[in-house]
Amino acid sequence: MSSFSVTEPSNRSKWFAGTLVILYALITMIPLAWIMLTGFKSPSDAISYPPKVVFEPTLEGYVNLFTTRTRQTQEYLDANPPETWYEEIVREYDMVIAGPSKFGERFLNSVIIGFGSTFLSIFLGTLAAYAFSRFKIPLADDLLFFILSTRMMPPIAVAIPIFLMYRQLGLSDTHLGMILLYTAVNISLAVWLLKGFIDEIPREYEEAALIDGYTRFQAFYKVVLPQAATGIASTAIFCLIFAWNEYAFAVLLTSGTAQTAPPFIPTIIGVGGLDWPAVAAGATIFLLPVMIFTILLRKHLLRGITFGAVRK
Amino acid sequence: MSNFLTGLMRLKRGPWEMLATILIGLGVFMLMQPFAIWLYTYSFITTLVGTVMFIIVSHFKD
Amino acid sequence: MTDTPAARAAQATPPNVARKIKGLSDRAIAWIFVGPTIFLLLAINIFPLIWTIRLSFTNFKANRINREPEWVGLRNYERILTDSDIWLNMQATAHFLFWTIFFQVLIGFTLAYLINKKFKGNDLWTTIIVLPMMLSPAVVGNFWKFLYQPQIGLFNYIVAFFTGKDPSSFEMLGSVDLAPWSIVIVDTWMWTPFVMLICLAGLRSIPDYIYEAAEVDRASKLRQFFTITIPMVLPFLMLAVLFRGIENFKMFDLVVQLTGGGPGSTTELTSINLKREAFEKWRTGYASAYAIILFVTVFGLASIYVKALNKVKER
Repeated sequence: MSSFSVTEPSNRSKWFAGTLVILYALITMIPLAWIMLTGFKSPSDAISYPPKVVFEPTLEGYVNLFTTRTRQTQEYLDANPPETWYEEIVREYDMVIAGPSKFGERFLNSVIIGFGSTFLSIFLGTLAAYAFSRFKIPLADDLLFFILSTRMMPPIAVAIPIFLMYRQLGLSDTHLGMILLYTAVNISLAVWLLKGFIDEIPREYEEAALIDGYTRFQAFYKVVLPQAATGIASTAIFCLIFAWNEYAFAVLLTSGTAQTAPPFIPTIIGVGGLDWPAVAAGATIFLLPVMIFTILLRKHLLRGITFGAVRK
Repeated sequence: MSNFLTGLMRLKRGPWEMLATILIGLGVFMLMQPFAIWLYTYSFITTLVGTVMFIIVSHFKD
Repeated sequence: MTDTPAARAAQATPPNVARKIKGLSDRAIAWIFVGPTIFLLLAINIFPLIWTIRLSFTNFKANRINREPEWVGLRNYERILTDSDIWLNMQATAHFLFWTIFFQVLIGFTLAYLINKKFKGNDLWTTIIVLPMMLSPAVVGNFWKFLYQPQIGLFNYIVAFFTGKDPSSFEMLGSVDLAPWSIVIVDTWMWTPFVMLICLAGLRSIPDYIYEAAEVDRASKLRQFFTITIPMVLPFLMLAVLFRGIENFKMFDLVVQLTGGGPGSTTELTSINLKREAFEKWRTGYASAYAIILFVTVFGLASIYVKALNKVKER
């Protein structure tokens, strides 16, 4: 039936469309592929002209990313032969590894702040979304708009008073401060998305449970939560990606202990200017999880980016 | 057009929201246009009026 | 009382159920559930906002806490709104806004239209195309800076390859003429998939029977495109345009990493300008007034956006 339908495109136009889309996809992937390749180049290969597509891969960028190095005298180098493969890479430049770099710490900060704020916004967001979905709340529409509009605020505009407030409260450059801040930004998305998911669960299920003698709380976590699990999971990934990618607040409010990876990666400096392979290695490690999550999320992507307005 | 005016007179939501939307749009245009600085000077007040109006009229009945 | 599904849904809980609920009343639970969210938003969004409004009428400087700030009335607003340099920043923002939206709509819609031809494997390729928009804008800006390097950068090399120019003869980020376009290119690369996804949703929301009816009426394909496809996708497109407009109006991370506002102030978008006033020159009161101006603009656009959202939702 459908193959005879007038709305089914002809094979030729399908082939044409497919070719163009694949061409676009390949072009759009070039920058990403290039940055991943650069991570495996030596510094001289990375800045060679013409740009090298074929090169001898090395883990130098990754070693430089995770370590700090110092130059040593020839006697010292001769007296202490390299013990590990990464020590060997560094030795080519007459250097020794002095210790771990800050990248590991910054990456861990991103993980802690990302997961902490995601957990908190999902926890609070699910409760609020359930209430908005099931109870009559006075001025519900205004509250929902208020919640959404907080998401739209320009970060730099809110950053001024938050900076002052955090300085007063001693929350500047702390994990807790950043978690609270990202939670506040993410909760709007969480409430809007989760409300959509919970709206789709028929009330009859809970009502049956309530008549069976469950309390509201029991009905909520025994009936509603399991049904909303997929929605909660995809909302969580959206919140996580936001907190992971956030830069403006991070660069203004953190400088040391709680600094996340995005403000840190561009500052990786090597000998004689930016160490591009190390920067590329950092970017690769940092971006890869998001790419994997995006693929997991592909069915719910549209819903997430439009605040739940477009379902499919 | 006359429908629009009677809608405004009867405090209907639709036309008033339309008016507020136009004001906001105009304000944003004035803020960023490259033609005259006095338009830029009065852009903020235009957007502000439009936004406040939007919040108020969204409570009118359809 | 009528027992249609609509009437049932309109009501919080049917009375026959409500009477049998054990434990706390629904009203108490509603407030317990919504309370923390509202509290958090009040503390971290609304309270700071009110504080900003207050500061915007003073000449407070955050790096000099001991000096008692003076009340200056509307003078900060007056100075910003008559400052021709800030007006130029606004125009730089407008250039960025206009061209990013133009290219993203053009390419995004075309891609969506092609993907909607449902060729084999379109799901896979859609997912690949979408990747750039999920990445961290600051890191993306940072590595595009690498691609834009004259001489060694891949972008210059590819342009040189196709045009025959010398790759070190032009600097995307260093030249006054090219820098505004360099940020347009990166933003378009990153966010075209967003417009594409929303257009695709619009195209898929058009039921087949409308086209079938048009076919019966012997309307040409071109006519169908302009009388059916475009009008039906338009609300979705509006949504995408508004969202990108709001996001790019407050653009900070991507551009600050790419150009840092330079060269000169050719790519100094409003948020970057504001950051300089607030966190480099420490003119907190003045910057607060600036922040309020940006905020009201975004808030106004956001209310239109929510209206557009609801319109799409009804479909």
